[in-house]
Amino acid sequence: MLSLPSFRPREIVHMLDLTRRSADMRKRFLYGLGAVATAVVAFAAVSRPSDAQQQPTVGPSPLTTSDSSKLQGPKQPIFFRHDIHAGQLKLQCQYCHYTVAESSEPGIPALSTCMGCHNLVAGKTKENQVEITKLKTAWSKKQPIEWVRVHTIAKHAHFPHMRHIKALGTQACATCHGEIAQMPQVYKVNNVNNMGFCITCHIERKVSRDCSVCHY
Amino acid sequence: MADESTTPSVDRRHFLKVLGVSGVGAAALTGCSTDRVTKLVPYLVQSEDQVPGIATNYASTCTECSAGCGLHVRTREGRPVKLEGNPEHPTNAGTLCARGQAGLQSLYNPDRLKAPMARNAAGGFDEIKWDDAIARLAAKVGSAGGKFAVLNGYGPSTFTTLLQDWTKALGGTHVAFEPFAREAERAANQKTWGRDDLPTYDFAAATHIISFGADFLETWGPVVEQQRGFAASHGFHDGTMSRHVFVGPRLSLTGANADEWLMVPAGSEAQVALAIAHVVAERKGHPLAGMLMAYMPETVAKDVGLTSQQLHDLADAFIASGPSLAVAGAVPTQHRGAVDLCHAVNLLNEVAGNVGKTVLFGAGPAVTDGFGRTRDLFASMGRGELQVVLVHEANPLYALPKSGKFLESFKKVGFKVSTASVLDDTAAQCDLILPNLHSLERWDDLRPRPGITGTLQPVVEPIFPVMHTGDVLLKVSKAIGGAVAGFNAASFEEHLKAEWQKRAASGKAGDFDSYWRGALGRGGIYEAAPAAAKPALVSGATQITFTKPAFDGTGDYVLMPYPSSMYYDGRGANKPWLHENPDPITKITWQSWVELHPDTAAKLDVREGEIVELTSPHGSIRSQVYVYAGVHPGVLAMPLGLGHTAYGRYAKDRGVNALDLIGAADSDTFLPYVSTKVSVKTTGDYRKAARVDGEARQLGRGIVQSMPLAYAAKGMTPEESYKAAGHVEGEKNTERELAAIEGFAEDQAKATQYGDYANPHPKWGMAVDLSRCTGCSACVTACYAENNIPTVGEEQVFRRREMSWLRIERYWEGGEAGEPLAVSFAPVMCQHCDNAPCEPVCPVYAAYHTPDGLNGQVYNRCVGTRYCSNNCPFKVRYFNWLKYNEVAFPEPLNLQLNPDVTVRARGVMEKCTFCIQRIRGAQNTARLEDREVRDGEIKTACMQSCPSGALSFGNVKDPEAAVIKWKRDPRGYHMLEETNVRPSVTYLARVLHQPPVATPAGEAH
Amino acid sequence: MAVIAHDPSLPTQTHAEVTRDVIKTITDKPTTGYYILAGSMALLTLVLFGTLGALLKYGLGLAGYAPPIMWSIYITTFVFWIGIGHAGTLISAILFLFRSPWRTAVYRSTEAMTVFAVMTAALFPIIHIGRQWLFYWLIPYPNQRFLWPNFKSPLMWDVFAVSTYLTVSSTFLMIGLVPDVAAIRDHVSGWRKKLYAALSLGWTGADSQWRHYSRAYLYLAALCTPLVLSVHSVVSWDFAMSIVPGWHGTIFAPYFVAGAIYSGIGMVLTLVIPLRKVLKLDHMITEYHFDNLAKLTLFTGSILFYAYGMEYFIAWYSGSTFEQTTFWRRAFGPNWWAGWSMIICNAFVSQLLWFPKIRKNITSLFVISIFINIGMWFERYVIFVGSLANDYIPYAWGQINPTWADWCILAGSFGWFGLWFTLFYKNFPIVAIQEVKEMIPMPRRKAHGGAH
Repeated sequence: MLSLPSFRPREIVHMLDLTRRSADMRKRFLYGLGAVATAVVAFAAVSRPSDAQQQPTVGPSPLTTSDSSKLQGPKQPIFFRHDIHAGQLKLQCQYCHYTVAESSEPGIPALSTCMGCHNLVAGKTKENQVEITKLKTAWSKKQPIEWVRVHTIAKHAHFPHMRHIKALGTQACATCHGEIAQMPQVYKVNNVNNMGFCITCHIERKVSRDCSVCHY
Repeated sequence: MADESTTPSVDRRHFLKVLGVSGVGAAALTGCSTDRVTKLVPYLVQSEDQVPGIATNYASTCTECSAGCGLHVRTREGRPVKLEGNPEHPTNAGTLCARGQAGLQSLYNPDRLKAPMARNAAGGFDEIKWDDAIARLAAKVGSAGGKFAVLNGYGPSTFTTLLQDWTKALGGTHVAFEPFAREAERAANQKTWGRDDLPTYDFAAATHIISFGADFLETWGPVVEQQRGFAASHGFHDGTMSRHVFVGPRLSLTGANADEWLMVPAGSEAQVALAIAHVVAERKGHPLAGMLMAYMPETVAKDVGLTSQQLHDLADAFIASGPSLAVAGAVPTQHRGAVDLCHAVNLLNEVAGNVGKTVLFGAGPAVTDGFGRTRDLFASMGRGELQVVLVHEANPLYALPKSGKFLESFKKVGFKVSTASVLDDTAAQCDLILPNLHSLERWDDLRPRPGITGTLQPVVEPIFPVMHTGDVLLKVSKAIGGAVAGFNAASFEEHLKAEWQKRAASGKAGDFDSYWRGALGRGGIYEAAPAAAKPALVSGATQITFTKPAFDGTGDYVLMPYPSSMYYDGRGANKPWLHENPDPITKITWQSWVELHPDTAAKLDVREGEIVELTSPHGSIRSQVYVYAGVHPGVLAMPLGLGHTAYGRYAKDRGVNALDLIGAADSDTFLPYVSTKVSVKTTGDYRKAARVDGEARQLGRGIVQSMPLAYAAKGMTPEESYKAAGHVEGEKNTERELAAIEGFAEDQAKATQYGDYANPHPKWGMAVDLSRCTGCSACVTACYAENNIPTVGEEQVFRRREMSWLRIERYWEGGEAGEPLAVSFAPVMCQHCDNAPCEPVCPVYAAYHTPDGLNGQVYNRCVGTRYCSNNCPFKVRYFNWLKYNEVAFPEPLNLQLNPDVTVRARGVMEKCTFCIQRIRGAQNTARLEDREVRDGEIKTACMQSCPSGALSFGNVKDPEAAVIKWKRDPRGYHMLEETNVRPSVTYLARVLHQPPVATPAGEAH
Repeated sequence: MAVIAHDPSLPTQTHAEVTRDVIKTITDKPTTGYYILAGSMALLTLVLFGTLGALLKYGLGLAGYAPPIMWSIYITTFVFWIGIGHAGTLISAILFLFRSPWRTAVYRSTEAMTVFAVMTAALFPIIHIGRQWLFYWLIPYPNQRFLWPNFKSPLMWDVFAVSTYLTVSSTFLMIGLVPDVAAIRDHVSGWRKKLYAALSLGWTGADSQWRHYSRAYLYLAALCTPLVLSVHSVVSWDFAMSIVPGWHGTIFAPYFVAGAIYSGIGMVLTLVIPLRKVLKLDHMITEYHFDNLAKLTLFTGSILFYAYGMEYFIAWYSGSTFEQTTFWRRAFGPNWWAGWSMIICNAFVSQLLWFPKIRKNITSLFVISIFINIGMWFERYVIFVGSLANDYIPYAWGQINPTWADWCILAGSFGWFGLWFTLFYKNFPIVAIQEVKEMIPMPRRKAHGGAH
């Protein structure tokens, strides 16, 4: 009964703080980066179609959707390969998780972000094409994809991603999430919802153990 | 909503969609399992200005009353979570009253209509399709010929203009409707100066204010602006402050903030005004003095129950220094002599030379058509002259007295249409309801007064698929064609832009886009009002004809209905925030009542809560008694705003409507609210009042301390002033204050080796200036909104289980054995004591001290022993006795929840945290920018909303911080000093024009 | 020849009679009256746990709590039951160390009462907290969160005090029972024999066993003795450590201990007086014993009298407006009725025991004991509820209005306690056989005396 159109931009108060502006800049830069990456993929796809099999595979060999259920971690509506995107193609995490450095929320890529590349990239193997088609249909149906959440933190704990990126650098995602770049399907390496996991690290690094830093 | 995957709900996907991927945390229950399967729903297209986890502010305009304050709508993941004042708006300059903030609950109101409704044969309503609805309206309106009228409650705006033109094109009548329209004042201005408009009053410039029953701090005029002005002049500053005298039968919140209250019988205010005017005129040698001979203090004194000396003194004080100001005309003085009263007050201002100084014409509030035209309109309805009536943003069948037979007339109309978004009293009588978008969902603008044009923009996707009435008009026009074929804009948005383009063109404002975007960004266009020449008295003005106003009925008591601070004209009655924000004076929640003077109560032998039956020639109602020494023995006062017959679950059948007792027949220009005498009959029934105050007197505990102006000006501390007044000395707080500022971290570090107390940290502190606080309670609603505080409902308030983290304590002084009644207010929140008694007694460290000086409360660690509350001398800790978090936010009210704050579960203790989420947020931002948090960067919700600017917050270790300057003020004191709990909140004593009534702590009575 | 005056502290019957009479109380078939009693107690116990279930489901709001009174009926009842326990330990342990002869006949019943009272009290800290299922957070245990309870909090001390008391007093009871259950073991058959066999820990009555036994008993008695003082002192600190006017008093520990013993003996009288009739043990538990109990009551009652007076004096002497207001309202405020019933039932009624007539009259003693129980419950009510109702900020003052949930838990607690006690006295010797025997003077010349 409630209306379901996606949110469209509105006028912002003109004197918003600077982080917002810089955020947009960073985003634009990342889009650019993405475009380059897309070109590379496209080129690879066109130039050497035949030796797709022979090419040295970083991470596990091509998998089919059917296997994904055998893999660790929850089965996702689309068999999105972090090992390919982050591993082989070396896409920056922030290309998709675009707000991780500025907000407590890492941000889940909008469908438009996926389509940015997959307008061109149709996938080499049969299996990949199947998955990418799912994406395209979703896009044409204007139907967002409901990913299954892997990492959840209790709602009474506030985890500011940006503070941790600021402190540990943009490559530090693996500290908590494990080597996502090697995962065909994302699974929980560390129980990030386990306070022991947080506090141990905070003690090692001699950073605040004050309860009210996370709990309020 | 944390378990949104386990509670199946139609709205869930939408909820997540609106939220994007985050913010589900908003509705999380503490300690709940998080191992359920939850989904991440990404945006299709990421909006540029929405960053998940970061709030975005949109400028808009408040439509909760006609003042049209500017809004900043704080949105998270595309949904508004809080309404705050727009700092750039000249009216409210960043602050906002309780009613304005509660506007959020009309956006998310669970009783909003989800589709157009049409009356069916059975007399009920059916949901219908929009096309169908528009077709039906078009058919009726098209065939109505001229027999068509519009009753429009929305202020001057592009929309209203459109509606007017459209109605005119169809040959119909358009009537602007405003329940508390200031008709009497307009009539008086006509009489005095020949002006048909209203002035603005400069309270900030006035050194002496006399209010004749005008509640300028509550419901009369642009209250936020007036409160800002009043606080500026009446708040103690540079050794001085203005003087405020309140003349009237009932001590309202405005009266409670006066330095002196002159209790006069209802209807005799004008005589007082004229008497003062007479003396002033004589002193100033003003020609009018002669005309006023009939009103020498000596002659009127007895009539008004004052001594002539009092009147002389008042007059002298009035012209003693600087510009003064006299105001009148609010609902509690709208008796049949109201025009005379306002005229008299005008003359008083005239002779005192205030016109042009504090009484400024030119930029007055926009005027409406007034009661006269509304009544005529209904009359023609009654004569069956109308086929179609459209009611827009108005609820006349509630706001007009029953005795006027308005309902009967309304029923005579063939086809009645309403655009109400909730099924209110009027809509319930209509044949077709076309729910309008909420003001936060639609394109619009508003011109509350010359020079100010506020803009409204959709800041959220419509919560329900309803339609902008502007679009409805355009669609209907398309369907009808003919006379209205001209109204052919593609959408109202286009029409609005077109209108603004014209405006931009006329105003030689560069390219339209930047002009438009600029306006939206600032929330409107603010220009200096066209200056008006100082008006001159018209010839007839000096013919003063004062006759005592007549009252209908033969009862012993004059009935005085007054607009409730929270419910206003009734539109607040469907908002739980306003129900649970107690009335500032009586501290009653969720109910209406009738106020009796103790003598009256004794005479009738009734006690608080007993139900009495009030009968007037126009009707009879039963209401519960509240005994109040602040009301004239000859008067019964009743708040307006409750007693709805519809209007949703929170309003329907709650309380009574005092308007049922008053007549509406005779007066021409305005509705005479105070025009009936009622007789009282006891019924023997009883209904407990859900009051939130326990003992209403301070018992000499120095909770709200005050000192005479003379001493304050000398820079004395409350203790010194108290001593100077010849009392035993109380305790000094200075060295404790110092310890709180300097020695704090060390103390904590000594106290425990754990935590990094020894490291350098800020220490957060607050100061409250009681000479500025008016007790308006805007901060209370702000706190509810910011901190996801659940409203618990009347049944729970009976047990005093309200969760109000911040409460305004109201204490009576005097009022017994003939001594004058004085009222004092103090906002009391968690004092964040350095030496907090709640901390050591918690067995699980849920209550503990943070390194930055906060008194932390870890909800998810709390097991609920409640020892902390027992041991808290201020009793500012609140316990979740039942699953409030599950009942308080029926969908879609849950969308209002602030994602930054955990929603507390049953069995957990909660309390004020100094808005720690805002502190942490600012610290995160500062850290990302490699800097320290700036002073003033963190504003707590209460401080942010306060129209009086009575609160200050900051790092007390920063010698430059504003809060330190406040804390060093000699007026500073701590509540309950002798408990040595070392609060982080410093109160600055009230300053009075008379010797203090409250005695400092440490003094037994 | 001259006849030696009979010492009332000594039993009049022979060893054989003692064993017979006591064991009869166990072997006799339970009367219907007994079944009705036990049944109703079981019913009340169901009420207790039913209500607890409701509290778990909906929250504490079901009870009549009204801020600022965050502790009301439940804590009142908790302290009431904890207090009851103390008389038991006092009589069984301290009087044992003092070798006072008159305890023997009554100590077993009082000791049982102690254990069951503490078992009842131990329920309440759990019942009354907001998130009962997280009670274990009050127990220190190593965890990956590096979180520990707050040892500064009196509530923590309370947890330790109560659990210690429960452990020690129940051990003491079991040990004291060993020789007796052994004796009964040889008189019964079936499942009971098994039970007693288990409980008698293979007791044969051998000389070496007796030697060890008496030592063990002595040490346990020594261990219990400090608990009588410590436990209720700690409980009193739950309140005295706060800054609530009316709680914040240095007199609290001795005041509470005295009150505890006073209430305990009150409960002993209430229980034992009917019991000796029902079990036909009136020739073993005689006026002599009650006279002594009464004297003890009089003593502790007088201490209370003093304490009440001292509280008021200090309130006045402190010059603190908060203390003064609290105590003024205690006598003349909205809770005046509770205040006065406490003073009358405890301070005044106990003074009647100065008169031997009243002291030695079982009926009057029983009536007085009832007054004591009521009075001591109200004492806690007045101190906790009465003080919280009006502390520092007048604006926050309030009154409670108890609901069914309050009364059901209160009544249920009596059921829970009563059920255990009823079962106990029908299955275990309510009079300590062997200790009574010890008291019997060396058999005078008589046809084959005591059974050996």
